[in-house]
Amino acid sequence: MPSVAPLVPAREGLIDAVKAALGPAFLSAKDEVGEVSIDVARESAAEALTILRDRFDYQQLMEIAGVDYPERAERFEVVYHLLSVTKNHRLRVRVSTDEETPVPSVTGVYPVAGWLEREVFDMYGVLFAGNADLRRILTDYGFRGHPQRKDFPLTGYVELRYSEEQKRVVYEPVRLAQDFRTFDFLSPWEGAEYILPGDEKAKLPEAKGAPTPLSADEIKEADAARSPAAPPPPTPKTTEKKSDTGAGEPANTEAAKPSRARKAAPKTDAPKKPRSPRKPKGEA
Amino acid sequence: MSETLTQPDATTAPAGETEINNYTINFGPQHPAAHGVLRLVLELDGEIIERVDPHIGLLHRGTEKLCEYKTYLQALPYFDRLDYCSPLPMEHSFVLAIEKLMDLEIPLRGQYMRVLFAELSRISNHMLNLGSHVMDVGAMTPNLWLFEIREDCMNFFERATGARMHSNWFRPGGVRQDVPLKLLTDIADWLDTRLPRLFEDAISLVADNRIFKQRNVDIAFVSKEDALAWGFSGPMIRGAGIPWDIRKSQPYEVYDRMDFDVPIGTKGDCYDRFMVRVEEVRQSARIMKQCLNEMPEGPVATLDRKVFPPRRAEMKQSMEALIHHFKLFTEGFHVPAGEVYVATESPKGEFGVYLVSDGTNMPYRVKIRPTAFSHLQAMDFMSKGHMLADVTAILGAMDIVFGECDR
Repeated sequence: MPSVAPLVPAREGLIDAVKAALGPAFLSAKDEVGEVSIDVARESAAEALTILRDRFDYQQLMEIAGVDYPERAERFEVVYHLLSVTKNHRLRVRVSTDEETPVPSVTGVYPVAGWLEREVFDMYGVLFAGNADLRRILTDYGFRGHPQRKDFPLTGYVELRYSEEQKRVVYEPVRLAQDFRTFDFLSPWEGAEYILPGDEKAKLPEAKGAPTPLSADEIKEADAARSPAAPPPPTPKTTEKKSDTGAGEPANTEAAKPSRARKAAPKTDAPKKPRSPRKPKGEA
Repeated sequence: MSETLTQPDATTAPAGETEINNYTINFGPQHPAAHGVLRLVLELDGEIIERVDPHIGLLHRGTEKLCEYKTYLQALPYFDRLDYCSPLPMEHSFVLAIEKLMDLEIPLRGQYMRVLFAELSRISNHMLNLGSHVMDVGAMTPNLWLFEIREDCMNFFERATGARMHSNWFRPGGVRQDVPLKLLTDIADWLDTRLPRLFEDAISLVADNRIFKQRNVDIAFVSKEDALAWGFSGPMIRGAGIPWDIRKSQPYEVYDRMDFDVPIGTKGDCYDRFMVRVEEVRQSARIMKQCLNEMPEGPVATLDRKVFPPRRAEMKQSMEALIHHFKLFTEGFHVPAGEVYVATESPKGEFGVYLVSDGTNMPYRVKIRPTAFSHLQAMDFMSKGHMLADVTAILGAMDIVFGECDR
């Protein structure tokens, strides 16, 4: 295994044993990149964790993480990370829920869950039935909304500043000095979901030579369909006589003369004076 | 500390009908011993603490949300800002999580570099914590001496990474750049001469000091069962007597080649936690010496140009290097879809990153597992029945930094 991440030794036959112990509460399990995660029915989350703590020696609950998948029917996932200090193993237990349905609290199993559940409630709005102290924890006093949801904007809705007139901190709607910019550098060849401006024109052939997914025959047909009647070709420009120079009358008359006569035309400019020899430098 | 004005006056009440009202005081959010912006609502009966309600989140900056809008490389500097007293171990977990999902191989010299500087961060972190702990209980001099050591560490960080604190030096695939040989020899000299002299001097002032012991011994017992149930880690769980160290039990990088001891406490009080950290400093110095002795030559980062950018000089000559550089710093690399939880032994305990990737160039979800969060939650049961003045000792022995706790 090339990766140098913390090496957690595998526990043989763990998934089967957990499946047998949890019964109907067990939904599915997977073992990826050396980490075991099991999905558990929401109603029996607390019982499942009790079994895992007492019979599988997962003494510590290190973390409860929320994850938001807005496209799912039950959009939130609550992920418990368990650690066994005697068996030296980590286990991930996942439960899914939506905005209204509460998840049974595990504060009775692991007391540390109190704040961890408060944080998931604060960030995602997931309710925990049985947590006696389900207050907000990280956000401001009187904060509205659940900031880690995917539909909550990164800039939030309110900003605060100290008002010199009122001598206190005031809350105002967010005003951005410049538009919020997202830079999506995903390559369009690798399945970016957006349509770049102009992409919609790619369906029709635009001009000869423009890249298009259509074949040459289709282009010809489309061209024929779009252009009603080809205009008559313009009369081709020919120069049959020498006098058709196209450079105006003086040139035409000059060109009409026989070439010998042109050559014999008197030269108007004066003959060149020979250049005075250059004086070498340094002499006066 | 602002006390409420309605204190019951027992002398005026008739005998036998004394009505005792608990009263509530605020400790913080601006209190020098709160180590940051912590607001403790203390319910007192006289000077005895009945209940503690920590209010946190005053330094919440939405790091996890910000990471979801950045590429992996752009998200990395946010980790320096979590625990700003030991920035490199914060990067360590995130970088290892990315590497685990991508199944990346790190050259041996890069692994040694990371371990060397992670241990240097541990020393620098413990200098701050031990120093402020002794100052919270009344000793001034050791703090100044320990800050001398911390200043040395900062200078080493600056010479290696260019920054004293927010170094952004551990990168997916290795470390940002190699260090000069002179720096390694200087660190070796420092480990042999200056560090032990200053450190042992400073600790000898407090370790057997009568006042220091009176303030710390038998304060805030934590049993092994409590330490497990409340999710303790790091020096807190070792102080309670459980020999649990991720560097030993789930070794990452070259920790399995290192020879070091894991100190544990015998009673689980504030003094044990203090002494566990003191011994950890000596063990860290031991690990660093082994790193310096065994460090091989070679590249410090992977040569896979789809992950780690080429050297600047190479870019001036090679078109391919220029393209790689451009792609890495605009689009960034893609991490295969999946989820991973990687925890390392940061100076304060288990610092974990739960990373969910959807296969694009930005993380779908980054959940940071701070150490201070669960430790601070235990503040309530740990300080129950203690005197008001013990709060600072308990807090000091917890080693809490709010950049990490509030994220």
